[in-house]
Amino acid sequence: MNDGSVRKFYGWFTVLGLLVGLLVVVGYYRDEYREWKDYQRRYVQEEERRASTPQQRAQAALIPIQVRQILLPDLNRVDRCTTCHLTVDDPSYGGYPQPLAYHPLHEQHPFEKFGCTICHRGQGRATTVADAHGNVAHWDEPMLPLRYIQASCGQCHQAADNPGAPELAHGQAVFEERGCRGCHKLGGVGGVIGPELDRVGARRSPDWLKQHFLAPATVTPGSAMPPQKFSESDLEAITLFMLSLTGEGAPGYYASMKVIPSAGEGQRLFQQKGCIGCHSIGNQGGKIGPALDNVGLRRSPEWMIQHFRDPQTVSPGSVMPRFGFTETEARALTDFLLHLRDQKVALSLPSLMGPVERGREVFRKYGCAGCHGQDGKGGVPNPNAKTAQQVPGLTYVADGYTKDELKARILKGQHEIPALDANRPPPPLYMPGWRAAIKDAELDDLVAYLVSLKPKGEDAGF
Amino acid sequence: MNTPFLKRLWQGFERTRVGRSIFRVGLPQSNLERSQAMVSSFLLHVQPAKVNRHSLRASYSLGLGLVSLYLFLILIGTGVLLMFYYVPSTERAYNVMKDLQFVVSAGLVLRNMHRWAAHLMVLFVVLHLCRVYYTGAYKRPREFNWVIGVGLFLLTLGLSFTGYLLPWDQLAFWAITVGTSIAGYAPVLGPKLKYLLLGGNVVGQEALIRFYALHVIVLPAVAGLAVAVHLWRVRKDGGLSRPDEPADLVQQVELSQLPVNKTYGLMELARGRTPQVDQNPEDQVFSWPHLVFRELLLFLLVTAMVLFLAIFWNAPLEELANPIHPPNPAKAPWYFLGLQELVSYSAFWGGVVVPGLLVLALVLLPYLDRGRRGVGRWFARERAVANSVFSLCLLVAVVLTLIGSLFRGPNWGWVEPWKSTPAITEEH
Repeated sequence: MNDGSVRKFYGWFTVLGLLVGLLVVVGYYRDEYREWKDYQRRYVQEEERRASTPQQRAQAALIPIQVRQILLPDLNRVDRCTTCHLTVDDPSYGGYPQPLAYHPLHEQHPFEKFGCTICHRGQGRATTVADAHGNVAHWDEPMLPLRYIQASCGQCHQAADNPGAPELAHGQAVFEERGCRGCHKLGGVGGVIGPELDRVGARRSPDWLKQHFLAPATVTPGSAMPPQKFSESDLEAITLFMLSLTGEGAPGYYASMKVIPSAGEGQRLFQQKGCIGCHSIGNQGGKIGPALDNVGLRRSPEWMIQHFRDPQTVSPGSVMPRFGFTETEARALTDFLLHLRDQKVALSLPSLMGPVERGREVFRKYGCAGCHGQDGKGGVPNPNAKTAQQVPGLTYVADGYTKDELKARILKGQHEIPALDANRPPPPLYMPGWRAAIKDAELDDLVAYLVSLKPKGEDAGF
Repeated sequence: MNTPFLKRLWQGFERTRVGRSIFRVGLPQSNLERSQAMVSSFLLHVQPAKVNRHSLRASYSLGLGLVSLYLFLILIGTGVLLMFYYVPSTERAYNVMKDLQFVVSAGLVLRNMHRWAAHLMVLFVVLHLCRVYYTGAYKRPREFNWVIGVGLFLLTLGLSFTGYLLPWDQLAFWAITVGTSIAGYAPVLGPKLKYLLLGGNVVGQEALIRFYALHVIVLPAVAGLAVAVHLWRVRKDGGLSRPDEPADLVQQVELSQLPVNKTYGLMELARGRTPQVDQNPEDQVFSWPHLVFRELLLFLLVTAMVLFLAIFWNAPLEELANPIHPPNPAKAPWYFLGLQELVSYSAFWGGVVVPGLLVLALVLLPYLDRGRRGVGRWFARERAVANSVFSLCLLVAVVLTLIGSLFRGPNWGWVEPWKSTPAITEEH
């Protein structure tokens, strides 16, 4: 046996053994070092600094350095944000800089039930700053800029009913006024020329959305959407509304909580439960119960809530049945009744409106204004369309069509728009058929509204 | 007394009753004990007591088969540890990847090791196949071991491919969608096979559970068994192929020619010979330490390589799988990109006929190429034609794979990787 050749092995074993050992040590330290530990040590130091007695100081030193997380199985989320943001629920840290800042306003949405990312987005499972804030490759949901945080309210709450998120309501109003639905489906209602918007907020950034509103073709080449002219505040509001459309469900516990007792919700309930059958507003409605026009002046909110729970207890001998309203519903109805002093609110109840007013609402609901302009006045560009390269206005539509012809046209739509120049691309906007969406009664009202568009006194024009 | 401290400590342990009961021979001091060490150990006895110097030459085998084996062992080790965390559910699999990265101790390194070792194993198995081809080592008596080797190559691809889906991210989802659709191009059986593999028409929960079962039980068990047979046959076929092997290496004993009224010893009936027969004792060295130590050193080297990659480079993980947002282009795993490139020309010819014929040719190769010359040497001149044909196929495969990997952009159009890729516009 040649000893020299064996000794050569020992040298190699030493070298490679040390190499593997070194790599294991390096791997261990890289794994053991995590940036959240630095933040937790800083928190412990701050606690020690603030301690006024030796006992408090000793207690601060015992704070464990460990990952903290909020488990949210119903939302399929795990939020580890509190691993670094350790003081979100400690008011004594009010005014501290991040990550040790206090988060106010969480009474309605306790952290243990909602976590953080359902509103702020970002990557809840991550434990490094870059990953957690979501500004990394392959993560679709970066943190929502605080400027647009109201958008998150709209994931669960009706935009219009949310007293804490006025800009969200503003955004939704802009959306409906401008007739975006004429081309875009939202919640299953709307046209088919543009893409559905149900999850647009989860896919698009605020900057993309704003750019897209002002000049659609610059971010989506070939887009049929006409450029929009918005005031600065309208632009911000509709961007915020778009960001609220994430398709995020609110299952279980959360679904039962999402009704905010607002006047808007009360109005819906009032309509839905058929209150107008017995009560009247503005002299319209049933006569069995008292008129409600001034009920807010006559009764206190507490009285009304009790009345909704059980009419007999505050109004003995009343014939009004117990509807079994929930507490939230009772408060919403009360809110609505208190608002009745405002005539506009009362008149917007659909059952109190005439066909023309209802038709205006239908016109609004299906976003007809998106292409035909506000009040059907036209002016929306449709490049290369024979009709002056615009979508035609509807002001004089009653002159050219009978009511039945109008109905047929709305139901069927017009997919081929005659082109001005056959050599250029066909006009991007067309009239979708609404047969699948619109109800018969709505169609009647809509046609009544369209006919009413013609200015009075021009009947004998020809 | 010049013996190192650790060695003395070890020898002290060996001499105890417990030590003897475990190791029987202990660290060998004499040639007799060196032989006994090999024969009495379960783990070592698959190898001979003495081995030909030629087989030890790193420049001959390059250790490629062993590297593949070691990668397989590393994959089993890391894979079992990953199984303690992984849940084959479309709801949870991706979250497990995130948890491994962010909260599990060494979870990220573990996943990285598994990923890189898997890619390396595909690479080294291919290199091993090339080595065996270029040295003519698939010839008699090793024909069937070559066939087993081809089977192991396909099993390696299968293992890697089934593992590719498990992270349940965009990369996984669309690579498997593309990969299985290639399988669907085969006539008659293709769609059935695809349906069987996916448990449906699209990649979903059923596919995930099937790929998981294949990946952690079925394929590793079959591959492990095949590896055992592969190694056992190497031993039975007289070790690695050598240039000085006599042409009539194997003489099958014809039982019918033997007198029947005689009692036979095992040696007389056994097929082939022991490695010592007809060989110059000068060419033989003891496996302990010459073979065993080299093998251990190679294992350390492979471990170091995988650790190094795993510590400094993270395994890819894209967005959560989203069946309605395909990336453009959607690409199969890199080892199937040559195939995908072929499919882009013709689904049937590129996806079925060409790969089918290639596998068939590999399996039949040792039975078609029966010449006895040029065995045991790299690029033997006698094998110029065979080597040229193989090299050409290899070159085409490599070029196609490179094109598929680097030169294909949106809609499988041609892009040059050194230029910035054109912005991908989503369908509106």
